[in-house]
Amino acid sequence: MASRQNTGVREAAENHLAQTESERQLVEEALRGCEERYRMLLDGIQGYAIFMMDPRGQIVSWNAGAERIKGYSAEEIIGHNFSCFFPPEDIERGAPQEVLRITAANGRHEERGMRVRKDGSRFLASVNITALRDAAGNLRGFSEFSHDLSESKESGAKYQGLLEAAPDAMVVVNQAGEIVLLNLQAEKQFGYRRDELVGQKVKSIIPEGFAERLIADGTRTAAEALAQQIGTGIELYGRRKDGSDFPIEIMLSPLENSEGILVTAAIRNITERKRSEEHLVKTVAELNRSNDELQQFAYVASHDLQEPLRMVASYTQLLAERYKGRLDSDADEFIAYAVDGSNRMQVLIQDLLAYSRAGTNGKAHRKISSDNALKEALTNLRATIQESGAVVTHDLLPMITTDGTQLAQIFQNLVGNAVKYHGAAAPRVHVSAAKTGGDEWIFSVRDNGLGIDPQYFDRIFVLFQRLHGQTEFKGTGIGLTICKKMLERLGGRIWVESQPGKGSTFHFALPEKDGK
Amino acid sequence: MMESIGTDAKAIEVLLVEDSPGDVRLTREALKTAKVLINLYVASDGTEAMAFLKREGGHTNAPRPDLILLDLNLPKKDGREVLGEIKESPALKSIPVVILTTSASEADILKSYLLHANCYITKPVDLKGFLNVVKSIDNFWLSVVRLPHEPR
Repeated sequence: MASRQNTGVREAAENHLAQTESERQLVEEALRGCEERYRMLLDGIQGYAIFMMDPRGQIVSWNAGAERIKGYSAEEIIGHNFSCFFPPEDIERGAPQEVLRITAANGRHEERGMRVRKDGSRFLASVNITALRDAAGNLRGFSEFSHDLSESKESGAKYQGLLEAAPDAMVVVNQAGEIVLLNLQAEKQFGYRRDELVGQKVKSIIPEGFAERLIADGTRTAAEALAQQIGTGIELYGRRKDGSDFPIEIMLSPLENSEGILVTAAIRNITERKRSEEHLVKTVAELNRSNDELQQFAYVASHDLQEPLRMVASYTQLLAERYKGRLDSDADEFIAYAVDGSNRMQVLIQDLLAYSRAGTNGKAHRKISSDNALKEALTNLRATIQESGAVVTHDLLPMITTDGTQLAQIFQNLVGNAVKYHGAAAPRVHVSAAKTGGDEWIFSVRDNGLGIDPQYFDRIFVLFQRLHGQTEFKGTGIGLTICKKMLERLGGRIWVESQPGKGSTFHFALPEKDGK
Repeated sequence: MMESIGTDAKAIEVLLVEDSPGDVRLTREALKTAKVLINLYVASDGTEAMAFLKREGGHTNAPRPDLILLDLNLPKKDGREVLGEIKESPALKSIPVVILTTSASEADILKSYLLHANCYITKPVDLKGFLNVVKSIDNFWLSVVRLPHEPR
């Protein structure tokens, strides 16, 4: 019986054992499945690096996301300390240990900071670390999950694409003053490779004081910063990798996203613009100096030439008066040419003097009657007008703020010309004025004279350029040139409308400074 | 250069301060037709003019001019200084001074009158004008106006 009983117990025991074994296998299988499912789950998360560490930070597990983001395979990294993910300068100041200490103390820790990939390149990461404790409360290790912020939706690929399209160097800086993103232009301008700059402090490429301000700007509200910077480019110097500086202009724009405030700095290299600005300033200064010299030269030359010429003219005239008919006929003719030549040269020199003086001793502009200015001109022209039998009429001319003396001279030259260059008919001249839509008066002097071929319209305003010989009309060709110079100095301009045989109309515009 | 023409005792003494011999000659030509007898003395720079007026150097016997024709742009001492010294000197300031110069500058005209020039004439550039000006100086200052007697 006993043996039968024993047999029964053994059987029962064996059965039980077999059952237990299969249960264990089942449990093991279930556990294996569970672990595999977790593994699959973790590896399925490509966007996050998820790994576990022992209490000292040695890595004990590694997911596919971590491999992708940080560049290390599980075999390579397991057993190594997580401090290798930190930039050297952070390691130096003990940041990795500090992170673990804080996490152990608080249970968990979140931070945003620079991390280094296996290839040495840097990226801004968002990091979450949790301390793992057993039931007794002993620290067993840490779990970390983190992701590359430059891959996130706001500041990721799309943003990078935008930056690359910009013609300026673009650098995105976080609140810690670290460069998070940059474009190709920034690489070119500053002479760095992208991975050399990402994670570096922005002050390594732009001046220190300004870098701080840039960050301070970034921490204010976006609206505030925008209001401050509208249209204000700040001129500074950027520093290339080789240490050389170049002038830049920076526009800042804050970007608030889920990860906080980033500042986008558009950095324009303004070397060329500076150079052309400097060139322009230099050219204008040179031009002014050369203009002044020319003015001075014209005055001195004409003034100093006048003295010896006065001697030549006076004594040839004296010769002509005293010795006419007392020498032979050749002598009379020669003396006559000498007298004529010196007389004409005197007129030219006086005109040149008048031109070099024109508008240089201008008086203060005040409200004057242009009607009075014309009357003054007509008084000076009285003899000429009477001789030619000219009829000069005019509309009522306006009050205008300008130099009345110069305006009278302009009228005198234009009306004088209109009377002088007449055809068979007696000269008829009409002076009128019209207000344009803008803020200027246009004066017109119309005549019934010879008229001018349009091809000469420019030429007639050039110094000593004439359309007629001395035998037809006397003169040096100075009048219109002086008018033009005076008008330019008064802020106006002059032009002509004419057809040969149909008379001419000279128009000139003067600004009405009152705007009324 | 110092010269005089005519030695008539009743002649009017004129000092011409002028550095251009051409202008001296022209002035003399113009004065040839003067209605009165003129003794014309010429000083070719400002220093010589002052020596003449103060009877210094070789001018111990120089007469006191009745009229001075003064150019402004002169070597050594210029006409403005000469004018200033004449008009500050109690002995000389009663002598009429006619500025006869090529300068038409407003600044020169104003300065001359501020220094008490008796009149200011810009030399005409043509011969006829010049001769007419000298003739009118002759006519006005030497015939029309009455000049002061030399103070004793």
